[in-house]
Amino acid sequence: MTWRRPSLLVAGLLLAGTVTACGGGGQSASTAAFDPNNCQGGTLEILNQDDAGSHLDPARLYTSGGGNIPSLLFRTLTTRTRKAGADGAKVAPDLATDTGEPNADATVWTYHLRDGLKFEDGTPITSADVKYGIERGFAAELPGGAPYLHDWLVDAQNYPGPYKDPNGIAAIETPDAKTIVFHLNSPHGDFPYLATATQFAPVPKAKDTGADYEKHPISSGPYKIETYDKGKSMTLVRNTDWSRAVDPNRLACPDRIEATYGLDSAVINQRLSTGTGNDANAVTTDTSLGPSELAQLDNNPDLAKRVAKGGFPYTYYLAFDNTKAPFNDIKVREAFSYAVDRTSAVNAVGGSSLAYPATTFLPNNKTMGYQAFDYFPAGANGDPAKAKQLLAEAGFPNGLTITLAHRSDDSNQDGPAVATAVQDAFKKAGITVKLQSIDSDSYGTTVNNPATQPQVAVEGWGADWPSGGPFIIPIFDGRQYLAGGGNFNTAHFDDKAVNAKIDEINKITDPDQAAQQWGQLDSEIMKQAPVVPLYHTTQLRLYGKNVKNAFVSDWTGVYDLSQVSVK
Amino acid sequence: MTEARPGFRVFLGRFRTDRAAVFGAVVAGLLVLLALLAPVLTALEGQDISSFHNDLVDSARGGVPIGPLGGMSGQHWLGVEPQTGRDLFARVAQGAQISLLVAVSATVVQVFLGVVVGLAAGLGSKLLDTVLTRLADIAIAFPVIIFSLALLTIVPDSVPRPLLLAVVIGVLGWGGTARIARGQTLSLRTRDFVAAARLSGAGGFRVARREILPGLAAPVITYAALLLPTNVITEAALSFLGVGVRPPTSSWGQMLSTATTWFRSDVMYVLIPAFMVFLTVLSFTLMGEGVRVALDPRTTRLTRKAG
Repeated sequence: MTWRRPSLLVAGLLLAGTVTACGGGGQSASTAAFDPNNCQGGTLEILNQDDAGSHLDPARLYTSGGGNIPSLLFRTLTTRTRKAGADGAKVAPDLATDTGEPNADATVWTYHLRDGLKFEDGTPITSADVKYGIERGFAAELPGGAPYLHDWLVDAQNYPGPYKDPNGIAAIETPDAKTIVFHLNSPHGDFPYLATATQFAPVPKAKDTGADYEKHPISSGPYKIETYDKGKSMTLVRNTDWSRAVDPNRLACPDRIEATYGLDSAVINQRLSTGTGNDANAVTTDTSLGPSELAQLDNNPDLAKRVAKGGFPYTYYLAFDNTKAPFNDIKVREAFSYAVDRTSAVNAVGGSSLAYPATTFLPNNKTMGYQAFDYFPAGANGDPAKAKQLLAEAGFPNGLTITLAHRSDDSNQDGPAVATAVQDAFKKAGITVKLQSIDSDSYGTTVNNPATQPQVAVEGWGADWPSGGPFIIPIFDGRQYLAGGGNFNTAHFDDKAVNAKIDEINKITDPDQAAQQWGQLDSEIMKQAPVVPLYHTTQLRLYGKNVKNAFVSDWTGVYDLSQVSVK
Repeated sequence: MTEARPGFRVFLGRFRTDRAAVFGAVVAGLLVLLALLAPVLTALEGQDISSFHNDLVDSARGGVPIGPLGGMSGQHWLGVEPQTGRDLFARVAQGAQISLLVAVSATVVQVFLGVVVGLAAGLGSKLLDTVLTRLADIAIAFPVIIFSLALLTIVPDSVPRPLLLAVVIGVLGWGGTARIARGQTLSLRTRDFVAAARLSGAGGFRVARREILPGLAAPVITYAALLLPTNVITEAALSFLGVGVRPPTSSWGQMLSTATTWFRSDVMYVLIPAFMVFLTVLSFTLMGEGVRVALDPRTTRLTRKAG
């Protein structure tokens, strides 16, 4: 299995930040009363740093919950619930009539399509279109999507895509035009979450132009593309073959959506805060307020009202190989856990408004199954005395020297700022830290390959959907250690009891019950101090003066473009 | 010896009459002192460059320093850095070290390479002259910043950054010095004393070292004095662009780079490093200009007349 981490960047691009439960859930900041039945009209402006995806092809997008902009064009079997806070972290049926009917052990999942579904050209959407869309994701010509389907579907590992093998995948059955059945090789109670990905969007075979499909993908959602200049701009207009009658999730208030890409983050925030002309109707899906911009909110209450607080659930931590000295000694790992100063680490990435200290691996998020614990209480500023004592017990009475790798820039919140904060805190505990700066482009490949993995590294992890599974499995499942690269189990953690528990939870199809179990597992794992959690991040996003209904869900952490209104 | 070269005493006398130059020299001297005594001064302040002070920044407001003027106080003479609360005076003083060390070393490299190439071009064969002159033209026309950016990006982090910066800036910036050294060499080689040395059996190397080199001193020193502030700016620019010294070491350019977004909420954080770069460039330029005027009798006369 190759699990891929959606980088913070990708996550930011496609969905954007989130409210964690600790933040008190999503907050609706619209100024006037919002009426969903009378919200249609106007033009919504999107000001973003980057295009909605490097390729606007449902097969190539790597989204969580179907993305924000992509979800306006691509309907999927299931989708995220468009509600604020924890309710928004649940799965809702989209093209399908329910979130999926599993068999007893969650290895067979059956979906039925709604009536009246149509593409933007008026042709009806069938289960064969959904199957074809999924098969396109297997084509080597269209790389970029999440790898789960390769791993989960029976005998699909080597399927070369519909261009080379038009017979398709046998594990996906379409007994009639409205029914689609998936056969999995092992139990996956999380399958409804996976079915929110854009790979589950229908693609009409007759209109498929291969790699060129991204220039004008056929819409199944409330909008269709009028103009698209990749990386620069996109204009969306209403898809007249879509209606609220066939889609209970999307409100689709604006008549027209104009997106501008390639803007600088400071420019975006400045334009949103000033809000002159069309900028009053503007939003951003990929730009948070920076630390230096927070102070302005105090002086400007009007501006402070136009901030959506949230955060795509994410955890930053110190990773080291638990099988290598000195980290094979739990006392050393505990000493590191005590030595860390989480206040200065949080400040390094923007302070308490943009991050909160982490003592658990799961973010403070109900659907993840978060359970509060702090096994090695370092307090707000670390406990260097306790750390020194543990190091002495471990045979390092004079401290030790380690190398800490970090990304060469701070844009991903794992750069020199946090590394120097850790360095300063560790100095007090007798741990001398040498910094190793690794270029942003090669950071992931260096850190996630056991052959090149640094001694200690600042790492971050966000899950592909708001469940404990994708958060814990790639990092702590011993069978996920990949010696050849693409390895996220950088702790080289391998505990038979934990592995068995993971298999057990994967069979659970009730999300609440599974969440409770994942939280319990997190607490079991972290007793062994396999990593040192540093902080979970949150984001603050501005929106224009005229924008209404800009609530934030725990899933995406950003206001939802299918819900906002500019009327 | 060139008869036009004034003695050191004459030079000093002329230099002293130039108030701007004296001001420049004094400020430059103070900056050098700041750089040399950085650890002492920081210890005197009671701070160090790397300690975080969580209690001095407002975490909820993005880590903006608590208190007016970026948190200036008796303990922190220039306030503290946003987000980290690290002492700004300590970091500015270390920045002076880096800035001057890199600029001076780069200037030394530039002058050394320039003089060697200039001498070789001026005294060597016609072919050598043509080749070296063209090389110098290329070096002058070269976009130094862009090339340094490319070069510094690919060099691994294990190479000490200040040394690397000095070498890169130095190796890319010798063209001007070479041109001046060549011109002066060409005019000197036809002089009688050079011909006399040649006739008495002196070889090319000896002529270059004993007869020509002293004559190059005045124009080259003048040029070097003006190269130095340019190198300060180049180092600041490269650090600003993120290829300079690496954290936790500080440099003014790097401070400016992180400070740019803070201009609304913590203006001192921007002004301090900006002022230091400005002061350094101004003082060294004034001093260099003074040196030039004092070493060039013609300019002196013109200046006096104009005055």
